[in-house]
Amino acid sequence: MQVQARPLGGKTETLDHAIEAIRVRFGSQALTRVAELPPPLPWPSRTPLDRLTGIGGLPRGRLTLLTGTGTCGKLTLALALLAQATQEFAHAVVIDHACQFDPWAMLPFDPDLGSLTVITPPSAEAAGEAASALARAGAGFILLMGEIPEPWLAPMEAGAARSGAVVVGVVDAPGRALAHASSLSLRFTPAGWIYERGQLVGLNVGARCSKNKLAPPVGESDLQVFYPVPPHLSGEVRWGRQLSTPAQQQEIECQSAAV
Amino acid sequence: MPICCCLAGHLELARRRDLYGTPVVVADAEGLVIAVSEEALPFSVEPGIPVRQAEHLCPHATLLTSDPIEADGLRERIAAALYDLAPCIEVRSEGIAWLDLEGVPSPSESIREARRRIRTAIGREPRLGLAPGPFSARLAAARARPGRLLKIDDARAFLAPLPTRELSLDDEQMERLDLLGLRTLGAVASIGPRELESQLGREGRRAVLLARGLEPDQLTPWQPPMFTSAHRQFEPPVQDREALLFVARALCGDLAEELGLRGAGAKQMRVRLVCEGGEDEARESIVRHALSSAVELFGLAGSWIKSWQPHAPINEMWIELPVLEAAGRRQLRLWTGGDGNSDEVTAALERLQERHGDAVVRKPRPLLPSSPIPSQRFA
Repeated sequence: MQVQARPLGGKTETLDHAIEAIRVRFGSQALTRVAELPPPLPWPSRTPLDRLTGIGGLPRGRLTLLTGTGTCGKLTLALALLAQATQEFAHAVVIDHACQFDPWAMLPFDPDLGSLTVITPPSAEAAGEAASALARAGAGFILLMGEIPEPWLAPMEAGAARSGAVVVGVVDAPGRALAHASSLSLRFTPAGWIYERGQLVGLNVGARCSKNKLAPPVGESDLQVFYPVPPHLSGEVRWGRQLSTPAQQQEIECQSAAV
Repeated sequence: MPICCCLAGHLELARRRDLYGTPVVVADAEGLVIAVSEEALPFSVEPGIPVRQAEHLCPHATLLTSDPIEADGLRERIAAALYDLAPCIEVRSEGIAWLDLEGVPSPSESIREARRRIRTAIGREPRLGLAPGPFSARLAAARARPGRLLKIDDARAFLAPLPTRELSLDDEQMERLDLLGLRTLGAVASIGPRELESQLGREGRRAVLLARGLEPDQLTPWQPPMFTSAHRQFEPPVQDREALLFVARALCGDLAEELGLRGAGAKQMRVRLVCEGGEDEARESIVRHALSSAVELFGLAGSWIKSWQPHAPINEMWIELPVLEAAGRRQLRLWTGGDGNSDEVTAALERLQERHGDAVVRKPRPLLPSSPIPSQRFA
């Protein structure tokens, strides 16, 4: 069987004309070529999650999802990220529609509460409105505790892309719209409890990148999440071995090394 | 004051990337050499000599005529590209870009990004130097390999063994330094500024300060443009709306190219038609989000022209962008932790409180963190 290439010159011109017409009518943001999209800047969270993203950090201006059913450590990781964000950003915001967020739980991670703001919107619509407004205004870090309605996802994405806000969502199982809107999805699976002297102190977690629009997926990671309760009064997240290939790790280290 | 210097070669040479790796000589309209590629330097071809002499010294070199406008455009493009990497940048047509990294949270990221953007702009790797001042940073960059960074902590120790020709003095002053036995920057640094000032004038004092690494010269910060416009004159006067739209589209294209060159966006737009008889008709609008592409600009200007009914044939069309903003806003990202957006975030939180009540926004303050009752732990 022979395949002959057909000239596409005329079609390309027609397509260009159609693209320009859409932009004139609906604005330049209505349609963007992939090649024209700026590469996402990473926010180094200083956790092994940075390696899973493939760009050396959580993407600025994009939505990152931490998913997993039941007790799998995703909220503990999100709190660790939030605590780190409170120290690095002027505004770290939690949008908590279901009133699940307790600042006490993140105290062991040594947050700077001065830059933390908690939004408890009365409805899911209000949560979407808050996420969209704050992403557009340029809040450095936004933690979504739960889903937001589909109509608000596009404004939130556009606002975050404009301001470079880091948006992280924590959900058990994301809906189709939220999963589609995310640029990076990390799925956590519990792999067993950790006991010390007969007491439950933590959780072994398998972390896997289930969706990545930023870079090729970079392996998996095993994490040991230690709960910030006695005897670990200080609270910490200890990071386990990396299952990425050595070549991938070396490549990331080369990228993050100084010039 | 950590200064990063990027040496990219004279920007006149970057006009012909296909000639990289070959000897190239660029001459101005007066017949003097203004730029020389590294491959021509071994033949003793230097900037400032006549073209004929350069041809004699290096007959196989490609001779180019300078195009200051294009080189200046490239300089603007590089400056716009580097603008959001450091609070203060300076770019010269000689292919030197300085970034003042004072206060930048992650200088290494800025340097890495500057290297990437300059490489994209000129098509080859720049040499990088990091030192306490612009002079020592430039000399450090000149001694780095392409694409590599040479970091200098002690500028005086680094400068000491370098020859005095790095001071950019004229021939007479250099000869006088030679007669005084001052052949290295270390020797110049060892004498007092007043002593050399008495020999060379003001340049002598400056030379001593430079040789000591005290950096008397400051960077001249590049500023994004704040106003731009484009216009077209019609001869004979035009009444046809389609012709006006055609010209408006072309003007918007020119403006968009200029905005892209400068990394700016228009916050305000004004279209002015000069009618026969000298009367002006104008329409203007302030836009919420800065316009930067030709499509965006023409979307607004075209909508006005389509409904415009001028009372006389048009002699001239002006499209003016009185307020340019986007490039300035990009530097807000340099602020630590996104402080530059604090006002907008605060305003957004206030709007949420107006709509949904004060209780919707909460800033947790520890009250009794050890309390077993969750509601008592935070205010």
